[in-house]
Amino acid sequence: MKPGEIRYILDESTGMLWRRKTSNIISVIIMALSLLILITFLAVTLNMAGLIEKTSEELRVYVYLEDGLSREGSRDIQLRLMAEPGVDEVVFVSREEALSDFRETLGENSELLDALEENPLPDSYRIRMKPEYIRSGVLEAMAGRTGEWEGVEEVRYGRKWFERGEKLVKSFYMIDLALGLIVFLSVIFVISNTVRLTILGSSRTIEILKLVGATNTYIQIPFIIEGALQGIVSSLLAIGLLAIIHRFAVQYMPGLAFIRVDAIAVFVFLCALLGALGSFAALRRFLKM
Amino acid sequence: MQQDKRIIAGVYHVSKGLGKHFSLQDINLQVTNGEFVFLVGPSGAGKSTLLKLMYMDDMPDKGQIVVGQFVSTRMKRRTIPDLRRKIGIIFQDFRLLEDRTVFENVALAMKVTGAGMGEIKRQITDILTRVGLYHKRYDYPPALSGGEQQRVAIARAVANRPAILFADEPTGNLDPVATKNILELLFKINAGGTAVLMATHDIDLVRSFGQRIIYLDEGRVAMDKEMIFVGDIRDRIGDSSVSESASRLSDYDITGGDGE
Repeated sequence: MKPGEIRYILDESTGMLWRRKTSNIISVIIMALSLLILITFLAVTLNMAGLIEKTSEELRVYVYLEDGLSREGSRDIQLRLMAEPGVDEVVFVSREEALSDFRETLGENSELLDALEENPLPDSYRIRMKPEYIRSGVLEAMAGRTGEWEGVEEVRYGRKWFERGEKLVKSFYMIDLALGLIVFLSVIFVISNTVRLTILGSSRTIEILKLVGATNTYIQIPFIIEGALQGIVSSLLAIGLLAIIHRFAVQYMPGLAFIRVDAIAVFVFLCALLGALGSFAALRRFLKM
Repeated sequence: MQQDKRIIAGVYHVSKGLGKHFSLQDINLQVTNGEFVFLVGPSGAGKSTLLKLMYMDDMPDKGQIVVGQFVSTRMKRRTIPDLRRKIGIIFQDFRLLEDRTVFENVALAMKVTGAGMGEIKRQITDILTRVGLYHKRYDYPPALSGGEQQRVAIARAVANRPAILFADEPTGNLDPVATKNILELLFKINAGGTAVLMATHDIDLVRSFGQRIIYLDEGRVAMDKEMIFVGDIRDRIGDSSVSESASRLSDYDITGGDGE
């Protein structure tokens, strides 16, 4: 390819974008709205996942100690707990602290506790687990193991609640995945169809270019650039629209997260790729390659 | 007329099936450099199909076509653009890009070859002047008359100085005056050394020029003759398969070539 040819191809690309601005604008709007559905769905999923993660991170494992355990015995248990896999932090909660915490939890009804002659609560260790270890199998195994130790009365982590929650999250992700796939496929379909129509609308131009001896490269590149630009502009437009929606929704749901910047970059890049590949695929049939 | 005659386009035993009724059967013809040939026949005789095979938009089922150094049986898709740059093609429907100016339409043929912008400007100024449309170089095709649009198409077809120009019913959409002008332009281009192969169904149009006429009927070459004497034509078209419009040829006294 001669350098002159490259310049003409670029001229051709800008010329084409300008000449078909109306149809390009319509295509971009159709693509942006389709993409908006997809990224709204993604944003909702991300927020749900974030919420689930946050909730599960708040999980604590309580190791209750036997009454009258010596300071050394208690200290020994603490060291052994810290050596357990997945343990992030071990905090000693004395029976007095536990009682005052309980009082706080009860609030107005804390007078009930005044009836007690002595503190019925044991000393305990409150364990924060590393997030990747917060799974029912791991927790169950650890509770079973540490529960056998000398000086340990009982180990609790709200097992029933946790297992139910875990099931719920699993089914949520399954439904989410299925819906996501449907949304994704329909967006791909709409975009590829839009690109195909754009190229069909240029069938005469392509025919004439072939007639005067344009190489396939010369014909293809402007369409591929056009497709990529459509992808970039429509994805940015979709993100802009989502930002407006987010700004509105956050007033009702504080803490609602927006899509992260690196995710946006990946999204825009993928849309550019989708547009370019869509044009390329539509042209392939056209140019009988 | 020509010092050394070379065949620049040859069709050898070419057959092409096109559905049940339209086909080419064992076509043989050669066009030498600088020659002007009319390809005549009723519509559906296979003229367009034959031209399509010659500019290799389609490939023959049997036989071989040679245009310049390009051979249909050895042709690859990638080399088709090279062929197109060395020939010119015009059509009944002009095939101009309506959203580009006259200048841009003609420039396109040179741009795809990667020619320099200076060269393109010089060459197109020259060609548009010769076809009489330099003053309309910034107009868009829809603003032009049919005859003018065809002149733009011709300018585009000859921009790369082709050795041969294929014309498929170039006057089919034009009134008699525009038709005459286009034919004169084609003769002028031919006089400059470019061979012209022009397909037309209008035998009355071409009878008086004294050029070589290839008569195509029902997918066969029914006659291939320089039109000089009436007697010759009678001999050639005595065959009953030749259509009525061909036999009308014999009604006219054709008095020799004045086209060159």
